Amino acid sequence: MEFLTLVLILVAALFILRKPEKEQAAFRMLVVSTLLMIFLFSLATRGGLLPGLNF
Amino acid sequence: MTQPSSAPVQSAGKGDLIFTITALAVLFLTVVPVGTAVFFLGFVKGDSPCVMCWEQRIGMILISLVGLFVLRYGPKPKYVGMAVLIAAWGMFMGLRHVGMHGARDIGQGFSIEIMGAHTYTWALFTFWVCVIAMGALLLMVRPAHLDGAVRSLNGLERLTGWAFVVVVAANVVQAFASTGPPPFMGQSDPIRFSFNPRYWHWSLEEWKPPIKFALRGRWAVAKPDVSAADADVAKGPLGTLPALAVTSRTKLGVALNGAPTDLAYDAATDRFLVTTDKAGIYLLDGTLASLDRYTVIDIGFAVDLGRFAGAAFLDKGELIAVGENKSFVVLAPSDSVSADENFRYFLESRDKFREINRSRFGTVRARMFYVSSAAYDADAKSIYAVTVPNSIAKRLVVSRFDRKDFTLSEEFVPALDDSVGLALGKERSLGEYMVSGAVVVDGMMYAISAAHRTLLTINLATHRVVAAQVIPDIPAPVGLAAKGTDLYVLSADGSIAVVPRPVPVPARPAAPVKR
Repeated sequence: MEFLTLVLILVAALFILRKPEKEQAAFRMLVVSTLLMIFLFSLATRGGLLPGLNF
Repeated sequence: MTQPSSAPVQSAGKGDLIFTITALAVLFLTVVPVGTAVFFLGFVKGDSPCVMCWEQRIGMILISLVGLFVLRYGPKPKYVGMAVLIAAWGMFMGLRHVGMHGARDIGQGFSIEIMGAHTYTWALFTFWVCVIAMGALLLMVRPAHLDGAVRSLNGLERLTGWAFVVVVAANVVQAFASTGPPPFMGQSDPIRFSFNPRYWHWSLEEWKPPIKFALRGRWAVAKPDVSAADADVAKGPLGTLPALAVTSRTKLGVALNGAPTDLAYDAATDRFLVTTDKAGIYLLDGTLASLDRYTVIDIGFAVDLGRFAGAAFLDKGELIAVGENKSFVVLAPSDSVSADENFRYFLESRDKFREINRSRFGTVRARMFYVSSAAYDADAKSIYAVTVPNSIAKRLVVSRFDRKDFTLSEEFVPALDDSVGLALGKERSLGEYMVSGAVVVDGMMYAISAAHRTLLTINLATHRVVAAQVIPDIPAPVGLAAKGTDLYVLSADGSIAVVPRPVPVPARPAAPVKR
């Protein structure tokens, strides 16, 4: 899944550099990548979402 | 780089320092932490990120990507918003990761150390710097930067953009080798990176059910509640046990500021010590009928003492109250202290005690367990505490702390003495007992359990339970004291049951441990 996230980021960067008129598409990829990052981290830490420390 | 003719373009003019700084910041973030991670640590040293490290690295890459948006389209609010959200989430990810390893012993951690800190610590630091840098850059935003025009990129900005592409492309390669295509994803314990596919390991371990989310996981340990313990003496892990007859019953003759939580007796001064759940410390005479002195501790001053769960007399006329969180305070009765002097320590009756020490016991086996008792062994000059079970784990651990420096000297999980006829039921454990009061006499620890109202006798030399009896028909016990040949079992309602102290079993050579 990290591979997919990074491919989306790479395509978004190429849009910014080579096809700046595709701003909206690039921004959507940024948002999707961010959501993927949040989802994957949460999935990996689902047994204890908060840091394992005394609060 | 040639600009596409279809895009509206304006040149970066003078005074656009904000874009230069942004380009340098993105270049630094891309090349130093992320570039070093993929090219040097990954491709050269063979380091593969764990799943959490992957997401933190991606967070940094996403902030850099937002930087590219800013360079091309200006610092629009939606980009600034995304950057703040990603950096905030990144700091959380870093803190979550540091939380797994930050309290380990010196030099310990996960994966490799760079300049004195492990990678996850650097991730936290990097996101923190990003937030500061974004705040500084926001101060430089002017209305002209928000005209919505697509900017042409100067040399530095183009270099930044293509450096980003190269670094992300390298990460795509590493991610494919290390984590695989969807639905495969990063692993908790990643395998060393290699370009050779025979060493690639794509895993679905993170998708394995149960997909159940919890906030604190094993840190969600509820505070002990002796009133909720199972009182049934017939259902204990040791099965049917002999009963100890209560020889007399009495009651605390003094009004307390809360429910009592432990009891101790000092033969030298013929006084009882009682602690309460409202931080009260009471010294009573040997008949439990009259009050010698009391005070109420400010448990929130400096060390959080929590709820008092254990009490014991020490030597030199001092006494200790231990919180269920294994924090403690040592006091000495005194008639020569002023109330003003003690303002910081005590909430009531401030001129009756001196505070000697206030700190925390550190444990290893008993870590992540609360305690509900304390005892002092004058011969061994040691303070004892015993763990109580919780919903996450059940383990009876006896911890011994040195009187001199209040540091852990020994911990053990008692086993059954195989010569006294005690046996655990199938899949039962001594950890089911909830020791809510303890006292040490002649090398024996007497521990009263609120669960199944059982008195355990533990030989501190052999670490074995040498006797166990039940005491039926008593309310939930919270404390235990030894006076003469009797044991005083204190309950939360202030009632006290007096039982004869079981005759100690002589210490003998250690036999094979039966758990």
